[in-house]
Amino acid sequence: MTKQPPAKAIPERFIVRPATLWFDRFMNYFITVGGLSIIIAVSLIFVFILLQVLPLFRGAQVEPQDSFSVPQDDYVVMGTDEWAELPFFVNRRGELTFLDTVDPGGPHHRTAFTRAPAWLDETDVGVVVYNPLLSQLVYGTADGRFAILDVQYEATFPERGGREVSVELQETPLLSIGSTEVPVQHLAYGSSGTQAIVVVIQQVNERFEMHAVSLVQQRTLLGDGQWSVSQSYDLSEHLDAAPRHLLVPSDADAVLIGMDDGRVLFLHFDGQEFRKRQMFVPFRDRADRAIASMNFLLGDVSLVFTASCGANRIFSLYRDPQREVRVWGHTKTFPDLERGASFYSAAMRNKAFLIGDGRAASLRYGTTESIRWQDELPFSVSLAAIGPRYDRMLFLDDGHTLHSYRLDDPHPQASWRTFFGRIQYEGQAAPEFAWQSTGGRDDFERKLSLIPLIIGTLKGTFYAMIFALPIALLAAIYTSQFLRPGIKRFVKPVMEIMASLPSVVLGFLAALWLAPIISNAVPSVLLAVIAIVVAALVVGYLWGLLPQRIRVRLKPGYEFLAFVPVLLLVGYAGWQLGFVVERTFFIVPGESTGMQIADFRLWFPQATGLSFEQRNAFVVGFVMGFAVIPIIFTITEDALSNVPEAFRSGSLALGASRWQTAIRIVLPTASAGIFSAIMIGLGRAVGETMIVVMATGNTPVTEFNPFTGMRTLSANIAVELPEAPYLGTLYRTLFLGALVLFLMTFLVNTIAEILRQRLREKYRAVE
Amino acid sequence: MKTRADRRTPEDTADKAGHSRRSERPRGETFVWMTAMGLTVGLTMIVFLLGLVVTNGVGVFWPRRVALVEFREDRDTRFQGGTKALGVITIEQDRDVRDLTIEQSESPHAADRREKQLFLGNRDAFGQAFSFFPAGDIQSVTYPDDVIRAERLEWGDALFFPVRLEMEDGTAVEADDPIFHSHLHRLVEDAAARRAQIHRIERYEIGRINLQMHQLEQEERYFARQDSLTDQQRSEREAVAGRMDELRAEYQPLADRAAELRSKQQRDILVYRLVTGEERSILVGQIVHHYYPNRLGVAGRAQIFAGQLWRFLSGYPREANTEGGIFPAIFGTFVMTLLMSVAVMPFGVMAAIYLREYARQGLFVRAVRIAINNLAGVPSIVFGIFGLGFFVYFVGGGIDRMFFDRALPAPTFGTGGILWASLTLALMTVPVVIVATEEALAAVPRGVREGSLACGASKWQTIRYLVLPAAAPGIMTGLVLAMARGAGEVAPLMLVGVVALAPNLPLDGLFPFIHLERKFMHLGFHIYDLGFQSPDSEAAKPMVFATTLVLILLVVALNLIATLVRNHLRKKYTADKF
Repeated sequence: MTKQPPAKAIPERFIVRPATLWFDRFMNYFITVGGLSIIIAVSLIFVFILLQVLPLFRGAQVEPQDSFSVPQDDYVVMGTDEWAELPFFVNRRGELTFLDTVDPGGPHHRTAFTRAPAWLDETDVGVVVYNPLLSQLVYGTADGRFAILDVQYEATFPERGGREVSVELQETPLLSIGSTEVPVQHLAYGSSGTQAIVVVIQQVNERFEMHAVSLVQQRTLLGDGQWSVSQSYDLSEHLDAAPRHLLVPSDADAVLIGMDDGRVLFLHFDGQEFRKRQMFVPFRDRADRAIASMNFLLGDVSLVFTASCGANRIFSLYRDPQREVRVWGHTKTFPDLERGASFYSAAMRNKAFLIGDGRAASLRYGTTESIRWQDELPFSVSLAAIGPRYDRMLFLDDGHTLHSYRLDDPHPQASWRTFFGRIQYEGQAAPEFAWQSTGGRDDFERKLSLIPLIIGTLKGTFYAMIFALPIALLAAIYTSQFLRPGIKRFVKPVMEIMASLPSVVLGFLAALWLAPIISNAVPSVLLAVIAIVVAALVVGYLWGLLPQRIRVRLKPGYEFLAFVPVLLLVGYAGWQLGFVVERTFFIVPGESTGMQIADFRLWFPQATGLSFEQRNAFVVGFVMGFAVIPIIFTITEDALSNVPEAFRSGSLALGASRWQTAIRIVLPTASAGIFSAIMIGLGRAVGETMIVVMATGNTPVTEFNPFTGMRTLSANIAVELPEAPYLGTLYRTLFLGALVLFLMTFLVNTIAEILRQRLREKYRAVE
Repeated sequence: MKTRADRRTPEDTADKAGHSRRSERPRGETFVWMTAMGLTVGLTMIVFLLGLVVTNGVGVFWPRRVALVEFREDRDTRFQGGTKALGVITIEQDRDVRDLTIEQSESPHAADRREKQLFLGNRDAFGQAFSFFPAGDIQSVTYPDDVIRAERLEWGDALFFPVRLEMEDGTAVEADDPIFHSHLHRLVEDAAARRAQIHRIERYEIGRINLQMHQLEQEERYFARQDSLTDQQRSEREAVAGRMDELRAEYQPLADRAAELRSKQQRDILVYRLVTGEERSILVGQIVHHYYPNRLGVAGRAQIFAGQLWRFLSGYPREANTEGGIFPAIFGTFVMTLLMSVAVMPFGVMAAIYLREYARQGLFVRAVRIAINNLAGVPSIVFGIFGLGFFVYFVGGGIDRMFFDRALPAPTFGTGGILWASLTLALMTVPVVIVATEEALAAVPRGVREGSLACGASKWQTIRYLVLPAAAPGIMTGLVLAMARGAGEVAPLMLVGVVALAPNLPLDGLFPFIHLERKFMHLGFHIYDLGFQSPDSEAAKPMVFATTLVLILLVVALNLIATLVRNHLRKKYTADKF
């Protein structure tokens, strides 16, 4: 067709219609493009999943957005509303300046207005602290009193859209605390809603005094009333050095005092009295132990310290196993800052905190010890705040300009360590791998380590393979080498039917039918298995001892049928023997009656200290065997059967027995194929979902106890994804789990496939 | 070393000699038996498992006799305070050793250590449908003749002794009246016919109106949300309101008709006596069907069996899926598998033709082939999560924003549905089809192609008229295998649109007939939901076994078809090799 011979030489019937040629060319093009695009589309699965995962590993995106000038003053506190639209600043005199950053008038018309508590003309202010979670300012006055000021923001959403934020101040009267007429130097306040304490430190004639009051709120029919002092405490005896920092957690059950010699004193308050519980030095190993800053992280069970040298550490409360009380311990270490921090702000939605000194600012995440963002700012910061929605950062520089930065960090908790490393979460005594995506409390922190899930996956796979591998390989060897070819035609499809059993059916049978039976009779099951294996060897040996005239009655290739009665008999005997064994060996005293009870389920936890669950890895392994056996069987059988006949014939002709031929000639030749069969079976076990979802308790574990359940990567996706918010951290983490699963199976299958292709070429060379 | 050499010497010499006594016993026969054990265990497992499902699944519908159990006066066992219990004996087994008292564990009678489980029915009266009784406390077991087992619309089955029928006109038929049986039978049949009529009216006629009203309501809400309407929108809005009124007018007579039928269902009352002596009554309209379990012969049982089986296969589920039928699940599985096949077939075949016939065989194609083979081994849940992220949220969300913005924020395609489920499974099974098609194409002898090309056919003509027809059975095998895999898969479906109870079928008589966005029911998920989400998993077990049997039959049948076609093909091609 390519050459064009002279036209008249061709009879008309040989001329190809142009339409045919066009159509052929079109189909060439169509199939190539179509085929390629299908292949590309299928490979896009991987790309899509990867794209869903990648944002997890991105740091925080921070960009400057706006700046506003703030009236000249000496500000000590900065606070903001939820959207950071109406921040306020408190100066040394205690006056609040609000700055409206949403301009109602024109592009440069920013309004600032000032408010102050009414008692301010009565006395001067000694110290002001701000609690952003409660949105409360607490003043300590120059005459030894204190007062609380509620900054109540309110947002209205008018019809025309948008949002209007307004503010209202609500103040309490001044209450006395400590020595009168002495200025308050440090003040801390904590309120859990039912209990509140205020602690102040004053300097009276070179000596430091510490006083605390507990407050009660009068409840009236009209709602919550005023706070009033219920009891006063003098805690001065605990002060043996000059105090620098003072903190009270929001549970109002402790006081923490940072001394200027680098020690931190922890007083516990049980509602009645204060007791010293712990004294610790956060920077014991540093030359300069002085504490430059000491602040709470969200939840008030972690303390962020910086030393004057710039070291940055977190101490958290955990239960001390020896003392059975909660004490502070060093849990996290961050890279050093240049110097001790001069500004600090904790996020109100997660464990992030903004810390820095001068121009250097750093956004760090407490749980993962990671730096989300760090930069040298073009100005020197005097005050900083993270917006309550974790979408904004505000910096007040020393030139009285407020800089607003947009913060885009949807997955602050995500990091390599979160997913694959040990992390010490708050309240835990040691770092560990943990998966716990939901919890009861609002300030609950998700634990997203994939390691327990990967271990669970491997555990399930391990027990499935232990059971499936011997049966599948033995059956395949027998079928391909010894079984009558006529029977083989029926045996293979029957085994393949097993492969087609839906896993939901297997899962249902495992959970509702098999699990109760097995858990009632663990020794019986084990004994039956052992008995069957031993019986096979014994019967085989005894059979060989029989005289030839008896042996010829059973034609070679029918052994498996002869074994059926043996299997049933021995299996039953083993089963029954199991109960005898249980009654003899696995005896424990009953909890209530004190009677001796023979029960493996009770004996196992007592003897080993591990737990026993009805739906466990043992059951899953057994049932997953149903799914894996036929796969390994079919591929192994193919690999063995495809070994060139010449090999077998040659070996048999040289006088080797059929077993010798099988094991020394056929098996080594097909070894690559067998290995690939095992790999593919492994891949199936790794990804199995429904059996695991149904037949285990789905608890994430990190041990290989056969009598507890587990949670696998695949089951985890099935269980959690329907509840995961779209594009949230959990959603993306589940995609990461899917990616890990994808890569695991893809890797295993690729190795298997390459081996199989190699084998095929090898056989071709022989033939 | 020495001992080993010593041990081997006589054998080696024997082998060389060729006729020693030992040569009668070939080496390694013991291990052959070991491998035989592997096959025997494997086959036993599969036979046992299938047998378990078949006996349990079929047994659900086989009517069994109802036993009247009387307890010994001198023992403590009582049922509802009395000494009698009526029920089907379902299990007889050894009691848990932890529950035994010392006397019982040392008792000479083995019966003292055994127990019987009774299916009691009458959940409304007794609270639980199943109960265990110690076998040793049972005095006698009899099978009274006049027990009725009735399947009810609510509260599951009831086992009782009939007392009388009270008709609407005030007359009553006592149970010992000879016409009682035929009377009851006729009334139950009438009620069933009326129930079917009500069902038809409510599901199809009222359903159609409801569907249209729902769409119009979405329009109305959309208009209400707008700040200002254009003239055209305003007239549209009026049209919607008018249409709404029309529908309401259509709806009313239908609702009246259904209400009238319903009131007829409440007329006749059956009074019955429980084993405890308590008299209760039930509306005949509440009885789905009934029979005298202890009066039946084998033929009667078979008839009841067939009836129960048919109601199971063709009925709609009731009582949180634990009663009634599984028709929507069968239908959902069927439609989903069909849609999946429609999606997977052209793409899989096209990709395979490209790989086998058009692509230049080289490293790239080899790599692609390996990758596709591997994709078949990627866990199904990975496809599920992809389906949710890509099809449901990305594509579906996009479609909603573009075409169904009037319904937002309620998602139309932006939530799981049968289309997304089918596409997800199509993606999952496309490697199966590609691999099978490639094999089928490869099996077509080269000579066929060469002959065709030599005769002057173009490449596409060769493929179209020779290669594809020859490979068709192989391609079909691949498709059937893919269908079998798709039909049995549950994990990905849980993420992309399967539900425990769907109000509507994905395919029905209402325009546009096939509702791709609807959620659907699936046999596999039905099993999961029944076995694990229902409050009383013991009561749900028979239904799960029956559903399991249906699913297994479906999947095994598909697989057998594929295997048979494949075997047939092998023969064909080995027969006429070029």
